This record gives sequence, C-alpha cells and structure tokens, in this order.
Amino acid sequence: MATLLRRALFPLRRIPSSPRPAAADVPFRARSHGAGLLYPDHIPTSPLQKALLAAGSAGMALYNPYRHDMIAVLGETTGCHTLKVLRDQMKRDPEGAQILQERPRISLSTLDLGKLQSLPKGSFGREYLRFLDVNRVSPDTRAPTRFVDDEELAYVIQRYREVHDMLHTLLGMPTNILGEIVVKWFEAVQTRLPMCILGALFGPVRLSAQSLQVLVSELIPWAVENGRRAPCVLNLYYERRWEQPLRALREELGITAPPLRVQGLA
Amino acid sequence: MAAPRTCGLWSYCGRGLSRAKRNCGLPGLRSSWPWGPLGARLLSQEKRATETHFGFETVSEEEKGGKVYQVFESVAKKYDVMNDMMSLGIHRVWKDLLLRKMHPLPGTQLLDVAGGTGDIAFRFLNYVQAQHQGKQKKQLRAQQNLSWEEIAKKYQNEEDSLGGSLVMVCDINREMLKVGKQKAFDRGYKAGLAWVLGDAEELPFDDDKFDVYTIAFGIRNVTHIDRALQEAHRVLKPGGRFLCLEFSQVNNPLISSFQVIPVLGEVVAGDWKSYQYLVESIRKFPSQEAFKEMIEDAGFQKVTYESLTSGIVAIHSGFKL
Repeated sequence: MATLLRRALFPLRRIPSSPRPAAADVPFRARSHGAGLLYPDHIPTSPLQKALLAAGSAGMALYNPYRHDMIAVLGETTGCHTLKVLRDQMKRDPEGAQILQERPRISLSTLDLGKLQSLPKGSFGREYLRFLDVNRVSPDTRAPTRFVDDEELAYVIQRYREVHDMLHTLLGMPTNILGEIVVKWFEAVQTRLPMCILGALFGPVRLSAQSLQVLVSELIPWAVENGRRAPCVLNLYYERRWEQPLRALREELGITAPPLRVQGLA
Repeated sequence: MAAPRTCGLWSYCGRGLSRAKRNCGLPGLRSSWPWGPLGARLLSQEKRATETHFGFETVSEEEKGGKVYQVFESVAKKYDVMNDMMSLGIHRVWKDLLLRKMHPLPGTQLLDVAGGTGDIAFRFLNYVQAQHQGKQKKQLRAQQNLSWEEIAKKYQNEEDSLGGSLVMVCDINREMLKVGKQKAFDRGYKAGLAWVLGDAEELPFDDDKFDVYTIAFGIRNVTHIDRALQEAHRVLKPGGRFLCLEFSQVNNPLISSFQVIPVLGEVVAGDWKSYQYLVESIRKFPSQEAFKEMIEDAGFQKVTYESLTSGIVAIHSGFKL
C-alpha cells in the first residue's frame, strides 16, 4: 500500500540513456532495448531464433487456427528474400515508389470514416467500409512487425497486412475460412511470400469435403488466374482511390467476378 | 521496448495519483510524505534518481516495480504452462525438494512470498496433511482402545486435518493471486490457506509471526533485495527459517536455452518480452556465494545453499536465532 502511494506521488522520470557501444559489438539481447532498434517494436533475433520461430509458429498456427499472431510471425521470419523482391518491384513502379516514400498506414486513426461514409455507393471507399461493417472487422487488429531486420522491409510487410482487407473487398470474399483461403491463394500468386504459399496449401486441411470440392474446382483456378493477370496489388495507393468506383478498379486490375457467391457475404 | 510500456506506466501512475489526492484528506501530504508512518525509510531526492536493472535494461528504481508488475500481469494465466515448457517439468521436482528440505510439521505457520499461483502453498498443505495423518495413524496403533466419543468425533470430521498449520500466500500482483485462488478452488484446497496482496519489501505483517518464510523464483524480481531480506528477518519468529529457491549461476552459461526461452514464450503464450525479461533477470541475479552473503547481512545465521540440476537453481536457507 505504502509503495503504491509512493509511486503515485513521485511520477516517473525519464532517465537519459547512457552512451551505448556500436550495435555490432553489443550482444543482440542487450540491443533489444534502446538505440539498437531499427524501428519501434523491433526485436532483433539470431538465425537460430528465427528458425525456431518459423517452425514453432507454423505448428501453432496449424494446431490453433485462431492464433493470427502466429501467422504474422511466420510471415516475418520466412519472408526475408521475398520481401526484398517485392520492395524492388515496388520501387520500379511509380505508384509503388510513392508508397515506399510516403509510408501511408491504414488504421482507424488514419482513415477518415466520415468521408468514406459520404462517398457514393459503389465507390471503393464505400464498399470497403461496408466490408468492415458486415464482417465486423477493424483495420486496427493487424499486429505490428517485430522480427524483420530491415526497416523498409518491415514497412513492406506491414503494408501487405494492412492491404489484406482491401483485397477482400476487391475479390468480394468474406472473412470466413473459405474466403480467407481464396484470398490467400490470390496473395500467394501475387506476392510469392512463403507464408502465403504455406497458408494456401495447408489452410484447406480443416475444410469440409464439400467446401474443399468447391474450392478446388472453382475458386482456386479463379483466384490463381486473377492473381496472375493483375499487377501487384501492393503498388496501388489505395488511400487515393477511395472515390474510384469499385467496378472500374476491378477492371483496371483485371479482376473478374467470382464464379459463385461464397456464403457469408463480402 | 521501453516506449509502449512507459505509456501504460504513465496512465497507471496518473490513476494512482488522482486516487491518492481524492483519498487523503491532508493537503500537505505530498511534502510530509518522507516522514510518514514508516519512519525508518527516508526518501531523499538522490534515491529517486537511482538506477537499477530490469533484465539488461537500465531503469529507475520506481520504473522497475511497475515493469515487473506488468510482466507478471501478462504471463499470469500461462505461468504454469510456461514453467513446464521451460524447465521440462523439472520445476516440480525443485519445488518438491524445497518442501522436503523444509520438512514442516503440523502446526507450522508458513509465509510464502511472491507465491502467486500457489505451487509452494499447495505442496505445503499436502505435506503437512500427510504428516498429520501419519501421526494420527501411529497414535491409533499405539492406543487401540479409543472411547466412543473420540471415534464419533473422528467420523464427524471435527478435527482439523492440518493440525493447526497455516500458509499465507503473499504476492504483489493481483493477477497472479487470482490465478492461485482459482487453482485452489479447482483442487479443493480450503482450510489453512490465506491470500494477501503485499510487497516483499514492506510486508503487511507484525514482527515475529511466522515459523517459515519461503520465496520461490520471486526474489530476483524485487527491486531492493536487501530490504526483502530484512523484512523476512523481521516477520520470522526467533528460531524461524528462511528458504529461498531461485535461479543461479551455472558454470557453462546456457546460451542456447536463453535463446530458446523467448521463442517458446512467443509461440506458446504470444509474449516475447516477458520471457526475454526472464532470461535476462536470471543472468543478472548474484551468484550463490554472493547471495549467501546478502542473507547473512540481513541477520540470518547458519546460512547454507544447495545447488540443484548442476547449478540451474539453488536453495538458500538461513535461520533467525
């Protein structure tokens, strides 16, 4: 009781950190505090730890599919090479290069919900908002990147995560397991991230035979075809396209309507 | 990372401050606080800027308490699972060994500090109950002819199965106590158990109250270990015993297991930072000999230690004579 009161009456004071040696000399564990971090939330890890994290998160994600944080960790620890390819490809595209420079973030604080609500029906922004409402999801549930050791690549994977909901809107897929698998196949073809490929291949393990049949015969070929045809979806500056009608955007990307309506409403 | 934690800490302290202002009727309390009821400890200006370690991070002393609180708040629910994973279940053996060393007899008053989830407390109750039952069996065998009243009383279970033993579980963290209480309820422990919220550095008990004081895997989280040891000395009865089970220095530093533990924490509990803190705080804890000297400084005598599992943990024992 006394200690609590004492702590309350004398508020915390920030201690100026003592000068630290160069990041290379300090063992990575000590670097996890203070000056050695490349971005907030960064956790430096050794190759052994990354390998263990990749294996452990893959296993845990299969065991408990509700652990979305495990899928995120799997993506971060396995994607180093692919993220570089994606980043270089973004740099070559004018709109992508702009995204890399300006680093827009999608969260409830950066989205102007009132403005999106006022857009005409059928516009991309309005449809995105409708998707969020109907599926009861929020753009703030994406975990921040932690295990990527390059801050530009960390942004690329963060952008990929935040853009995921836009893909749902573009493809017209709901957030149930079937819809998620279809979007994963699309993403796997588009980004070639190992996590997407693994998710696309192992996700259907938990489906019923009927859904599996529909998935394999109709939805996957459609997703793969659209994934191949469309330009990289990470290159789109979605924040500037809210007013664009969804249909026009789909035509621009070459995304056709889904072969059948997936239960659960997009 | 320091930044998000301190934001939480600011609001935590802010809430405490407004609560304190509302509750205390003395407008001049803030200036007169250092000379409050605990006259023994003066809070000088220099003390506030003193630094200590939180794992490998350097923090101010006030910060450490709050940060440790947050670590245990977030791990409370998975605490037992993680203990099993990290020590491959061996932590149960360590705790059993601690009880065997203690060898409590029925009637012992135990204070288990930082005992949140109740592992030591439950083992103590089992041990004491087994001892009591053993004693009763011997008595029965010795005197074959009991009167009808005594037999009737035994059948009515009016006797205390613990023989007057009591364990007080004290922890600074509410979440850990909640988990402990739930466990006690699930396992059917009712008699002889009390749960108290308290700080090891300032125990809410009178002097000379307990026969045994234990602290298992808790003392390295305390900001001022010397104060905790002094408090232990104060609340023990003369002849009382101090027992501490804690991680210790191993001859070959366990580099690979220190890398694996935060990974396990992330995969199993979704919490890297707390387990990072765990491995770093183990590294920072003094060696067996150094800790023995600290215990002697607090006034304990006949201080000994026993290293278990090639030095991963050590049990330190001392007596108040």
